[in-house]
Amino acid sequence: MEAIPKKGTPERQRLIDEHKACIDSMKGVAGFSVLKCGEPGDTTVVTGGVHADPVLKRILLRMRGESPKGKLVVICTKIEKEWRIGRLSGIRGVPPEFIDDKIYDDEQEIQHAIFLIRLDELPETYGFPEDFNEGWKRKDDNWPVT
Amino acid sequence: MTSMRLTGYADKFSVHPGDPIKFYVNCNGPAEYKVEIVHLINGDTNPRGPGYLDKPVAADVNKTYKGRKQIIHGGSYGYVPDAKAFHVESFTLQCWIWPTAPKTHPRYWKHGAQGLVTKWSKDCGYGLFVNEDGCLELRINEHRITTGVPLRDHAWHFCAATFDAATGDVVLYHEPQVVYALDPVIEPVRQILKLAISHAPVPVGIACYVESLAPDDALAASSKPAGVVFAGKYNGKIDSPRICKVALSRQDIETMKLGAQPGLTERRNSGPSGRLSEVIVAAWNFGKGIDTIVASDEGPYRFDAQLVNCPNRAMTGYNWGGTNFDWKHAPHEYGAISFHDDDVDDARWSADFEWSVPETGVKSRFYAAKLTTSEGDEEFIPFWVVPRVGQETAKIAVMVPTISYMAYANEHVACNAGGAELFVYRVPIMQQQNMYLAEHREYGGSIYDTHTDGTGISISSRLRPILSIRPKYDHFLAQAPWQYPADLHLICWLETMGYDYDVFTDEDITYDGLARIENYNVIITGSHPEHNSGPQLDALHNYTQRGGRLMYMGADAWYWVHSYHPAYESTGRGVVTEMRRCESGIRTWRADPGEYYHQGTGELGGMWRFRGRYLHSVAGTGMSSEGFDVSSYFSRTPDSLDPRVAWAFDGIGYDEKLGNFGLVGGGAAGLELDIVDTMLGSPPHTLAVATSAGRHTEAYLLVMEDFGFNQQGLDGTTHPRVRADIAFHETPNGGGCFAFSSIAFCGSLPWNNCDNNISKLVKNVLDRFAADGPLPAPPADAIKHRGRADYDPTPPEHRSRKARGEFLSG
Repeated sequence: MEAIPKKGTPERQRLIDEHKACIDSMKGVAGFSVLKCGEPGDTTVVTGGVHADPVLKRILLRMRGESPKGKLVVICTKIEKEWRIGRLSGIRGVPPEFIDDKIYDDEQEIQHAIFLIRLDELPETYGFPEDFNEGWKRKDDNWPVT
Repeated sequence: MTSMRLTGYADKFSVHPGDPIKFYVNCNGPAEYKVEIVHLINGDTNPRGPGYLDKPVAADVNKTYKGRKQIIHGGSYGYVPDAKAFHVESFTLQCWIWPTAPKTHPRYWKHGAQGLVTKWSKDCGYGLFVNEDGCLELRINEHRITTGVPLRDHAWHFCAATFDAATGDVVLYHEPQVVYALDPVIEPVRQILKLAISHAPVPVGIACYVESLAPDDALAASSKPAGVVFAGKYNGKIDSPRICKVALSRQDIETMKLGAQPGLTERRNSGPSGRLSEVIVAAWNFGKGIDTIVASDEGPYRFDAQLVNCPNRAMTGYNWGGTNFDWKHAPHEYGAISFHDDDVDDARWSADFEWSVPETGVKSRFYAAKLTTSEGDEEFIPFWVVPRVGQETAKIAVMVPTISYMAYANEHVACNAGGAELFVYRVPIMQQQNMYLAEHREYGGSIYDTHTDGTGISISSRLRPILSIRPKYDHFLAQAPWQYPADLHLICWLETMGYDYDVFTDEDITYDGLARIENYNVIITGSHPEHNSGPQLDALHNYTQRGGRLMYMGADAWYWVHSYHPAYESTGRGVVTEMRRCESGIRTWRADPGEYYHQGTGELGGMWRFRGRYLHSVAGTGMSSEGFDVSSYFSRTPDSLDPRVAWAFDGIGYDEKLGNFGLVGGGAAGLELDIVDTMLGSPPHTLAVATSAGRHTEAYLLVMEDFGFNQQGLDGTTHPRVRADIAFHETPNGGGCFAFSSIAFCGSLPWNNCDNNISKLVKNVLDRFAADGPLPAPPADAIKHRGRADYDPTPPEHRSRKARGEFLSG
């Protein structure tokens, strides 16, 4: 598996820069992908991002496959105006909680903020034998759909 | 963020002119709220589109109402009204159970003891429970006797308890059906309790217990029977519960597993033996009346239990042998009912206002009761005014996919599913509605969700607030409107273009059949009519066969088998829909072996494709891939030049990018995509007039029913079947089908104030399809034999653009 790149490495910075470039180009699209629009906000031609960078693609897939407990999610707090980051409880009936007071004014920008948090939160060994625990035998591994 | 303080629903989706419609409102906090009936035109708040649009409708209910709190009494259970025979001195309780969440997290929304078979409330009476620690527990008055042994989840256990009032002997048995090598032996628990049972005047509960009799309480008001608050809703299966009025020996308990035996010859009693028949209080057989919401008691008193909130029936029992898969042929192996603490069949609220739709002056359209407060709260309760059969007012009708709306009703996937991000290819965005539902599980989930205990949801009721059928609601799947608000893109276009049209719902066509649609020249679908009843598909086929015209405005339609549960017919049309996710198709959960047949109609669930009813046969294309990140656009193919269909492209250049713009994913080809496949039901004369081949991202993946082997190369950057095909074919008698084959398609219609090439294409098709009389006959040379797999690649019309030298730029 693709290990999460260490802090301070050029590899990590490269992923961050590519991710941010995709985010900026997707502003205004009624949807989102970590890809670069040929013209900002226009999906007629999309390139780069996960299509061109296999490391970025795999790191993102691993982040996306995390189990619900503690997983970061976007919460729209004012339609078309404000978004905040929340964390899923992983417990049915317990709604997500905001992680901080920060308000984002763009629904794409907040995707980048979550990417940065996850890079910091996920250990390098995430998903490797060092992480194997009892839950992996009981459907608590990283790939439940629902 | 403010919590949703206003929620509501109506007793009908579809209301005829002259008929009443009732509205039920929970107003939790504000003293009053204002009601305005509005004609809904656009629900999408995207600043790149027309924005939210409605028109006021004059109605006598447009006024201010006093607010009141209404609560849903959720979770399924059974009950039998109190009766003298239950007031026993001694007893034996027994049943099989398959618990799914015997031990829950302390913060779980219904953490605590769960009732199995109870005649117990407030420390009076007797009953079998799963206690807070997940162990079997017997309660007699204030006493709790437990094995102290955790019940294994998702496994069958036989449970029994006896109490002999004369001796005070209490025995509690917990006997797992499967015992693994390292499982400790579970001995019966024995105790002496010298007491007399105090009997409370409360119903017998199955999968619950009575918490209180509270007639003035909002929760009790929405319960059934009204005034009784049930708690301890159990998650899991129960099979063969029995109550006897003496303490039976273990041997007699074993015999009593047989229950009453009404089939024995030389009948002289209710069985299973003469002696045991004298002590039976109740012996329920859940394998009887599976298609009802009554649990049949075969004992002497006929203590049939009313089932509330529609638990799952047609569930495999403890004795299911893996040879019978249809409950209708082996009901004795389907004696289990699966209860869930978040089931809901009817919110059972009190009506707050009722509107009698005038006989004239209110067109057949999308409407809503718009509720607002002076403090900024807002809620919409959508409904549709539908003409009576024979009183149609237009040549065009929109078929509102209400079964699909119900399937997606109150969906929790972004919050529950670890993998939701993997298929949307970004972090999901939750809205206020999702946050509210995450906390209020009593509002029930969608058929995409799992219950709070993790089992799949196969039942959806429309008699509850459905917060996903709302304008101003972007769905996490699309980061844009989806289903109801996405269909408003189509409505906005029809209104802007000045078309006159009627609307009807899936309910109307299911119950009325061909009569509902035969007087229209053209039927227009919604963007994603994925969930369908058999009668609906029959009606559409009969319609196009007789010359009707169908415009299929989306993708992934005609996919899942649905049936309305017949037990709810008395409360209205199409109140409860059922769908089981069987062995193939895109499934967020998968039915267990043996549980593929619907409990309501007994029909095989799953995909229509696997009942031999190919999706592509309905409108010419069928689902081939899905992806949820961004959309793309279409290019015309040589088929579009065929004189049979060239009229559809009047005013559109051969090389134009079709729909490289839009309010869903940024393009007309996106989310879920359909293709022409003559091997899967597309008629062999189908013309594929435009395609988005090669333009989709790696988030788009081939549907799993199209391949049998996991392999690389299934995504939009590599697989040729990951595309959308816009297609046309003629049907007999001057009919025809146009399939636009993309869920995102309608999102391009309102772009640039409806002045764009997608709008032009749809207008050309609609104008032709809406005209009176049959479609113009195709050229004589179009009438010829065509194979399904076989075709001749040499004629120019069968060659690709490349082979014809017609390269595309850009």
